[in-house]
Amino acid sequence: MATGVDRRRAEFKRYKEDVQSRGKPFFPFAMWHDTVMSLVVVVITIALAAIWYFDSGEDPEDVGILGPRYTAEADPGTTSFVPRPDWFFFFLFYLLRIFKWPESVILGTVGIPTLCLILLLALPFLDVRAERRIIRRPVALVAGVLVIISMGVLTYKGATAEEGISTSGDVVEQWMTEGNLPPEARKGAELVAESGCLNCHTYRGVGSPNLGAPDLTEIGAQDQGKDYFHRYVANPRDFGNNVMPVYQSLGDENLDAIAAFLDASRNP
Amino acid sequence: MASTTTPPRRKPPSRASVAVNYPLDWLEERSGLVGGTKYFLFRKVPGDINWMQTLGSATLTAFLIQLLTGVILAMYYKPDPNSAYASIVHITNDVTLGWLVRGMHKWGASMFIILMFLHMGRVFLFGAYKYPRELNWIVGALLIPIGLFEGFTGYLLPWDQTAYWATVVGININGTAPFLGPFIAQFLQGGAEIGPDTLSRFYSLHMLLLPGAIIGLIVLHLYLVVRLGVSSPPWSKDAAGMERPDDVQRGNGRAGLTRPTRRGGDV
Repeated sequence: MATGVDRRRAEFKRYKEDVQSRGKPFFPFAMWHDTVMSLVVVVITIALAAIWYFDSGEDPEDVGILGPRYTAEADPGTTSFVPRPDWFFFFLFYLLRIFKWPESVILGTVGIPTLCLILLLALPFLDVRAERRIIRRPVALVAGVLVIISMGVLTYKGATAEEGISTSGDVVEQWMTEGNLPPEARKGAELVAESGCLNCHTYRGVGSPNLGAPDLTEIGAQDQGKDYFHRYVANPRDFGNNVMPVYQSLGDENLDAIAAFLDASRNP
Repeated sequence: MASTTTPPRRKPPSRASVAVNYPLDWLEERSGLVGGTKYFLFRKVPGDINWMQTLGSATLTAFLIQLLTGVILAMYYKPDPNSAYASIVHITNDVTLGWLVRGMHKWGASMFIILMFLHMGRVFLFGAYKYPRELNWIVGALLIPIGLFEGFTGYLLPWDQTAYWATVVGININGTAPFLGPFIAQFLQGGAEIGPDTLSRFYSLHMLLLPGAIIGLIVLHLYLVVRLGVSSPPWSKDAAGMERPDDVQRGNGRAGLTRPTRRGGDV
């Protein structure tokens, strides 16, 4: 009447006896395989470094097949840079784009990643059967294949996501006429169109709604005033917003222009 | 001791072997490290192990590349917003083989992460996280988010546009977490904006805390591998630990102890 625990212990005892009697010494048998594989890793790493370096140039604009050596120096005041994470965060990056509404964005940023991590850590306690052959572990097989497919798809979608909304003058022109905006809103409109705002916000159907950021088309309708928008964009933390970046470094002149544009955006 | 009562009949050891063995004996007597190393090297592993089972040591190799190149980069890199970018440009273009060291560190990070996932996939495929290796799965699973966080903190250090804006977004994503989110974001940022304090925080996390945690967990991971042994591929016809038909017939006699050539012979 062997219980599950007894059976597992007996199997592990048998494993140790089998290894003792019929196994091979780690050195040189297994270590030989490990060494070959490790050399492959070192060679691939050196090859990637060499291709990356020799196919690119000192100028950040001189991009090789493996990318530039570096992009331009960080500039917090820049108004036209599209943020992208390193490739191994693409899956997370794209997960965020699936949950767009304020109520569910937390699922993408925290909920699903945390749940996946808990499931990963708890796996040995969720799957307690002794069977190790994958063909006889249908649930594990399906779950494993689904994880690989979803990670692959999310990484691919993240890599090819539509970024950097085209910021031709046409968009600004269209906003000015459709929204019936005053001329003093033009500079702010250009800043919003060129900068990263439209990676999260939308304006008259342009942009990609992300992280629960609101549509800005009628943002001024509540008559909160230019000063309010200036202070909000400069430091959203003061208004309890921990998601939107701080844009203090755009400078007062740019912030005034953006505030004027937002304040004037009242027409549907 | 036994050697004093019954002197060995062998020839006395040559001077050369004494010269070689003396320091080893000295070390062994005081630490046991020689015996430990011998145990590590000559411990038995199942004879049917597979090439896929080299992915773990390949991941370790990728991590060692990161340690070595990281130490060299730290000799030239300046974690200060005014000079970080210039030091990266200098390392890449001017320092002898600097491009190789930085290139290997940059691409080695991706290698490390890919290999970590492949190694995890292999363990999953083999069902090797099951009894008695559950704890080792947990240690490995902890290494994944820590490794990713190491990648995240390292990404800022070149202080170029890509680095800066990816970090802005990353920190703001942290800020969306309930309760702790704003505190984590504030801690990572170290101020109202991403600036000198953020860079030195990321630098410290990237080269002290996180590598320390990774090294500690890898040591524990390897200790458990040596203690519990490597599992045979589950589809192997001769997997270590499998039940064999003879077991039942022969009662206590263990089929695993019988060489195949003797099967059906003197039994």
